[in-house]
Amino acid sequence: MPLDYPIHDRRLPNGLRVIVSPDHSVPNVTVNLWVGVGSRHEEPGRTGFAHLFEHLMFQGSRNVASGEHFAALMAQGGRLNATTWFDRTNYFETVPKGAMDLALWLEADRHGHLLDAVNQENLDNQRDVVKEEKRQRYDNAPYGTALIEVYAAVFPDGHPYHHPTIGSMADLDAASVDDVHAFFQRYYGPNNSVLTLCGDVSPEDGFAAVERYFGDLAASAETPRGPGPQLPPLASPVRVDVTGEVPNDRLHLAFRLPVDPTPDFVAAGFALDILGGLSTSRLTRRLVREEQVAHHVDAHAMGFIDGSSLGLITLDVADGQDADVIEARAMEELERFAESGPTAVEMEAVMAQAERAWLSALAGQEERADLISHATLLHDDPGFINTYLDRLAAVTPEQVTEVARAWLRPANRATVAFLRAQEVAA
Amino acid sequence: MTTARPDIAPAEPWAFPIPRETLLDNGIRLLTYDIPGQYVVSVRVAVPTPLTAEPRQLEGIATIMARLLDEGTARHTPEEFAELLERKGIGLGAGMTESAVIAELDVAARHLGDALDLLRQMLAEPAFPEAEVRRAVATRKAEIEQERASAPHRAGREFVATFYDSAERASRPTGGRVDTVAAITRDDVVAFHAAHIGPRGSTVVVAGDFTGLDVPALVEETLGAWSVPDQAPAAAPVRARRAVDAARVVAVDRPGSVQSEFAIGWSGPDRHTDLGWAAYQVLSFVIGGSPTARVDAVLREDKGYTYGIRSAFRPRRVGGTFVTSGSVRTEVTVDALRLLLDILDRTREGFTVEEVRDGVDFISKTAPGRYATADAVAGEAATLALDGLPLDFTTTNLQRMAELTPEDLHAAVNAVVTGEWTVVVVGDATAWLDGIRDLDRGEVTVVPN
Repeated sequence: MPLDYPIHDRRLPNGLRVIVSPDHSVPNVTVNLWVGVGSRHEEPGRTGFAHLFEHLMFQGSRNVASGEHFAALMAQGGRLNATTWFDRTNYFETVPKGAMDLALWLEADRHGHLLDAVNQENLDNQRDVVKEEKRQRYDNAPYGTALIEVYAAVFPDGHPYHHPTIGSMADLDAASVDDVHAFFQRYYGPNNSVLTLCGDVSPEDGFAAVERYFGDLAASAETPRGPGPQLPPLASPVRVDVTGEVPNDRLHLAFRLPVDPTPDFVAAGFALDILGGLSTSRLTRRLVREEQVAHHVDAHAMGFIDGSSLGLITLDVADGQDADVIEARAMEELERFAESGPTAVEMEAVMAQAERAWLSALAGQEERADLISHATLLHDDPGFINTYLDRLAAVTPEQVTEVARAWLRPANRATVAFLRAQEVAA
Repeated sequence: MTTARPDIAPAEPWAFPIPRETLLDNGIRLLTYDIPGQYVVSVRVAVPTPLTAEPRQLEGIATIMARLLDEGTARHTPEEFAELLERKGIGLGAGMTESAVIAELDVAARHLGDALDLLRQMLAEPAFPEAEVRRAVATRKAEIEQERASAPHRAGREFVATFYDSAERASRPTGGRVDTVAAITRDDVVAFHAAHIGPRGSTVVVAGDFTGLDVPALVEETLGAWSVPDQAPAAAPVRARRAVDAARVVAVDRPGSVQSEFAIGWSGPDRHTDLGWAAYQVLSFVIGGSPTARVDAVLREDKGYTYGIRSAFRPRRVGGTFVTSGSVRTEVTVDALRLLLDILDRTREGFTVEEVRDGVDFISKTAPGRYATADAVAGEAATLALDGLPLDFTTTNLQRMAELTPEDLHAAVNAVVTGEWTVVVVGDATAWLDGIRDLDRGEVTVVPN
């Protein structure tokens, strides 16, 4: 179906890219800021810093006390947070429209004048909080470190995606107040950010409000380095075994993929859905339904900009089954798919499920604003939300086959196997 | 920055939408919400089925039955059915709560008719193939092991086992245990479905952009044809009794764990409470609903012990719980528990005008955004229907919330918080067991993971 969410695009003299997408169905406005810095920019010895820095953005700025950003917005009915990922950091709040100016004022204060408030006490406190986040989500959860192993296996040492966004405990310990100052001065500034307003606001009022609060910030960010060259697929399989107290064996089969946005990346998404992402996918059909040797299969493509994206297939091995045998059968399916390509029904199913998922993602202002900021900051394409389904519809079975042959052969995989300890001892 | 802090313009009045309501001939109560711009239509079917209807030796059968509904019907094999769903981009599934089987359907509006027909087939004529029953049982057994390995799940399981009287179904996992799940056969599933799943008493909610659609007619043609002549009415819900020795500490020992996971709780109300559910929503927010709430102001922002701990009143159909949950690093377990129990005990002393205002403002002013999508509206409507609440409850509850005073919150918290707590700690017990005994908060028992 044709989508026509309104997109109004302007750049302030200081470089801030502003998108306003009016939607008067709910009396709210989402303010969504993407900053062009993520863990891919981190220096050796300072992994995890972009994310730790994001936490400090809530600990006060020139005119805002520590914790006040959260408290002031929540008291007005704001729902807010921030996240850090390989390619970017985002900050967002959805507020009643009468509080839009307050949200912009608070954002401008921290995005322009954070360093007035940064101190050792705040840094130490948030370092502790981030270390608890790492323990909770990675170190104290079954399979919690799987993706960390996957990144290290798929991307070469020194590559921007070789290390995880959460970083290491040692590097978090090493972070200093001086690092915070240097990082802010280098990466934070209107000329390295995109601000989207989505909701009950006109383009005129939206642009004027952003100008009012962000207009006098200096274009202070350095020009960020461009992305590196496309990595080729792995030439031969990589294998990492992790043994421990996990409930069942789990295989992660990971692949380098073309960067996002390229037609080949979109086609790779089709291939992974057909292999393992649909409930009628080939691996699910064979391993879960017919042979009942796996409990669950998942597959998806993660789009990145710096030299490679990532494809990931996850297989939960059923009790009493041999992980090696199941991996070999999965490889048979990959080979078969690369040889014969998708069926017409498979292409139809991917397209239909992708359409529903995309319309669901756009159903709320919050996620719609985030998708607009994403496409604008990373791909210079503010209207992407309206054209994405057309891009999907343009993918041909031949493209999917070619991408599978080039990127999703057994030789191209890195296998990270989480294995139950007692099986290894036996 | 030269610009002064801006003033706030007052929020516009808001009300949760009122649906068009129809009673179908087969007993289905149909609620439809036409929401322009919501291109994915969300459907919920809520079939009242109390968990207490499960045979004791087959607990988990309602969950297994619900999960099998879309695994083949009288007309289609499991694979055919899955393909029919995916070719139309239909998201469809079903699960079990404490009081109902709930089927959820999401689909682009133009495929709604086809989707509703598949939904009818799934509810009315599921095939429960033998191989699929075996697979669902094996999957649930593996899931139980996954839950045992997850600290929050493990803490939750031990909490209900300690808090509720062991005769209560609520004291055991909704999805059953390994021994009860392993005993489930195809015949059992067929019998359970026949005895409990039917249109009478069920509620169907449809929400989305209905442009070009006659939704009541589409539902009448599909789910309206669902007939179970001898359907027995669902048993009325009853309160689950608390254990007489619920006020104690259970340590679930996981040697080597780098964090300790807490589940701390006591009784709470359901949404029908005379004191008003709104008061308990505000209490949840003020005590443990945000990084600036009482719990995280100390545990996270002052001490740096945790990534975040949350407190919430959790209503059941009758009665409920008030549970605080989250994790801290192993070394600070004793101090963190001492601080948490102190914060929770001191809720009985009352709340400030500012706390009440912050909580009321957050909950009431976020409502338009929280209920902006078809999915959220359908979910709320299904919850109201199952709870036997009027369809304007969401709105009247917010109106009542606006009137709340510190005295109201003081009364509400003292109606349930007594200073007694069921405390579960999952972690490396050798690191903190003696310290927790010294806190003197009831008998301390150690159980294996």
